[in-house]
Amino acid sequence: MNLGELAFLALAAVAVATALAALLVRELVHTILWISVFFVDLSAIYFLLAAPFLGVLQLGVYAGAVTVLLLFGIMVTRKRIFSREAAAGLGPVPLALAAVLVIFLVSAVGQLPAGTTPVTGYDPSALSAALFDTYGPYLLLLGLVMLGGVAGAIYLVREGRE
Amino acid sequence: MVAFSSFVGPFVPELLLLGGMLLVLLLDVLGVRRNETLATVALTALALAFLSILGDLGFAPLGVLATVGPGALNVAPAAGAAPLYHLTSFGLIFQAIFLVAALLVVLASSSRPSGERGAPIFYGLLLLATVGMLLVAVASDLIFLLLAVEVVGVPSYLLVAYRRGEARSMEAAMKFFIVGALSTVLSFYGASLLFGAYGSTNLFVIHAAAASVGTPVLVLVGYGFLLAGLAFKVTLVPFHAWAVDVYDGAPTDVTAFLAGGTKKIGLFAFFLVFLGPVLLVHPATAGASPFGGGPLDLGPTLSIALGVIAVLTMTVGNLLALLQKEMKRMLAYSSISQAGYMLIGVTIGTAPALTGATLQILAHVLMKGGAFLVVAGVAGLGIGPLIDDWKGLGVRRPLLGAAFALMLLSLAGVPLTIGFVSKFVLFSSAVQAQGWFIWLAVAGLLNSALSVFYYARVLKVMYFDRTDPIAAIEAPPASGLGAGGLGYGRAAAIGLAAVLIVGIGLYPQPILGAIQSAAQHFLLTGV
Amino acid sequence: MTTLPESGFLLLSGLLLGVGVFGLLTRRNFILVLIALEIAMNATILNFVYFAAFAPHAAGLSGQAIAVVLIGFAATEVAVGLAIVLGLNRLKGTIDVAQGNLLKE
Repeated sequence: MNLGELAFLALAAVAVATALAALLVRELVHTILWISVFFVDLSAIYFLLAAPFLGVLQLGVYAGAVTVLLLFGIMVTRKRIFSREAAAGLGPVPLALAAVLVIFLVSAVGQLPAGTTPVTGYDPSALSAALFDTYGPYLLLLGLVMLGGVAGAIYLVREGRE
Repeated sequence: MVAFSSFVGPFVPELLLLGGMLLVLLLDVLGVRRNETLATVALTALALAFLSILGDLGFAPLGVLATVGPGALNVAPAAGAAPLYHLTSFGLIFQAIFLVAALLVVLASSSRPSGERGAPIFYGLLLLATVGMLLVAVASDLIFLLLAVEVVGVPSYLLVAYRRGEARSMEAAMKFFIVGALSTVLSFYGASLLFGAYGSTNLFVIHAAAASVGTPVLVLVGYGFLLAGLAFKVTLVPFHAWAVDVYDGAPTDVTAFLAGGTKKIGLFAFFLVFLGPVLLVHPATAGASPFGGGPLDLGPTLSIALGVIAVLTMTVGNLLALLQKEMKRMLAYSSISQAGYMLIGVTIGTAPALTGATLQILAHVLMKGGAFLVVAGVAGLGIGPLIDDWKGLGVRRPLLGAAFALMLLSLAGVPLTIGFVSKFVLFSSAVQAQGWFIWLAVAGLLNSALSVFYYARVLKVMYFDRTDPIAAIEAPPASGLGAGGLGYGRAAAIGLAAVLIVGIGLYPQPILGAIQSAAQHFLLTGV
Repeated sequence: MTTLPESGFLLLSGLLLGVGVFGLLTRRNFILVLIALEIAMNATILNFVYFAAFAPHAAGLSGQAIAVVLIGFAATEVAVGLAIVLGLNRLKGTIDVAQGNLLKE
C-alpha cells in the first residue's frame, strides 16, 4: 500500500463520517462545523487527484461561501427545529428505490480496474482554455441559471408590503 | 463575422426572450410595474420568437424571418465532432410547442389586476424559464441538456413562490425545490457514470458507444439514475407524489405553466436520452421479451422499464383522479396520467409512436394548460375550489362552460378533438409495433375509458345539477374586468386553446405530416 | 506519478450519494435538507473529478470543466433554497415544514 492509497483511505473515512455527523447531530451549529470539515476534506481529495484548481475552487466556494451562507441562514431562522415528518414528504418508495440504485452502484465497483491506477494531472491553463472555448456554452447556461436565481431570490427576501 | 452569425443564428428566439426578460426587469427598476405593460412586453417577445421558429421550420409566408437556412437542420455532425447543441426540425417543433404554452399563460395573465405585486418577477422568470425550454430542445450533450433543464427549474421554483405573501404557495415552492433538487442530483449523478463509462457526455458518442459494446453495470446504473431523476420532472409513478401538492399550492396561472409547459421538457429529455438506447433493439429484436435470451441488454431492459412505468403512471393517476373532490387536484392527477400516455412513444421508439407522443404533448399543452387557465379565471369569479362549487356553471356561463367542456372531452379522447387524434395515432402505433407493445395500447384504451368517469362527473355537475336559486342570481364580477369578469386576455387565451383543440382535431393532416417527417429525421440518430 | 485505487472512489461517491439522498428525503429542517443536497452534489462532482483523473487526456479535461460548472451550480441552488427559506420564515416564523399542513388533507 503506497502513501497515496493511505491518504485516500483516511480522507474517504473522514468524508463519510463528517457527512453522516452533519445530518445526525442535534445542534444546527455543530452541523455547520461538520459540513465545513467535509468540504475541506473533499478539497484535499481533489488535490490528491491532481486537480489543484478544483481543490482551490472547492475551498473558496464551499468551505468559504456556502458555509457562511448556511450559517447566516441558521442565524436568521433559528427556531423550532423538529417536526413530525420529512420535508420532502415523498413517502418511503423513492428512498427504497434510491437505496436499490446505490446497492447496484456498489456492485458496479467490481467492474473498475482492481488495484491502483496512475492519476493524470492537467495544466490549469489548458482547463481554462477548454472551459471558455469548447465548453463555453456550459458557462453561459450556468449564467442563465444564476440570473434567474438571483432575480428571484432578491425579490423573495426584499423588504416590503405583501 | 461569419463565425459570430453562425453562433447567434440558431439562438435568435432565445435572445429575443432574454431581451424581453431584461427589459421587464429594467422596467421594474424604473418603476413601471403595471401588469398590462409588462404582459405586452412579454407577449411581444414570445410572439416574435414563435414567428421566427415557424420561419426556421420552413413555413413559407415567414421565410423572411428564418435565421437558420433550411440546409442547417437535421445535419449529422462530422465524424469525431461532439457538438454541444444540434438543430433538428423535431427540436424546432418542440420549441414551437413550448412557446404556445408560454404564450397562452402570458395572454391569460395579462388580465390580472394591473396593480398586482410581483408582476415583474412573474413575467421575468417566465421568460427565462421559456429560454431554458427552448435550449433543452436543441441540446445534444447530456450536461448541456441537464443545465438547460435547470435554467427552467430554478425560475420555476421561484415562480411558484412569486406570491410571497401566501403561505400555501411558499410551502409549495419549498416542496418543489426539494424534489427538483433531488431530481437534479440523481440525473447529474447518472450523467457522471455515463461519462465514466464512455469518456464523454455527448449524446452522439454515448448512443454510438451504447450500440457497439456490451452493457457494463456502470452504464445500466447510470441510465437508472437518469431515469429516476428525469421521472421526477415528468411526474411518473412512483416519483409523482409531489406534483399534486405543488400544482395545488401554486398560483393557478403558474400551475398552467408547470403542467402545460415545463413538465414537457422532461419528456423531451426522455426522448434525447433514452430513444437512442431503446432504438438499438430495432428492428431485429423489436418486441422480443427482454428476458428472452442472453444477459441483460440495455435496449430491451430500458424499453420494458419504460413500458411498466408508463402503464403504472396512467393507472395510478387515473385512479387517484377519480377520488378527488377539488377541481385543481383532479386536474393535477389527470395530468400525471397523461404523462403515462406520452411515455408510450419513447417505449416503442418508432416514427408513428413518436409522432403520436408529440401530438399528445401539444394536445396536453392546449387541454391542460387551457383547463388550468379556466380554473384560475373561475376562481376570480368567486367560485370555490370544489368540483361541486361549479354547479350550473355551464348554464350560467355558456361560452366559458363550453370551452371547459371541450377541454375535458378532449382529455377523455372524444372524437373530433385533438385528444382523440393524438391517442389514435399513439395507440395504433403500439398495435403496429407488435409484440408486447400491444399491451400498452390495451392499457391505454382501458385507462381512457376509466378517465371518462371523472370527466363526465364534472360535466354532469356543470350542466345538470340544479343550482340553488339564490346563488344563481349572478353578482356583478368583483374584479371589474371585461368579458364578464374574466378579462379579455384570459378569455382570448381560453378561446384560442379551445379553437385549436377543435381545429387540429378536425384537420390534423398538416401538423401530423410535419411532426411525422421531423420524427423520422430524429430517429436516424436519436439526438 | 501517484497511483490511486479507482474503484475506491466510486465506492466513496456512492456512499456519499446515499447519505445525501437519505438526508434529502428524511430531514425535517430545511437547512439540513440543503446540507444533504450539497453532500449529494459533492458526490456527483467527485465522480467527474476522479473519472477525469483516470481518463485519457482529452476526456479528462472535459470532466474537470464540468466539475467547475457544477460547483457554481450547486452554490446557486443553495442561494435559491435559502431565499425560499427566508421568505417562508418571514411569513410564518418557522422553517418547519410539517408545522403548517396547509397542503395536506
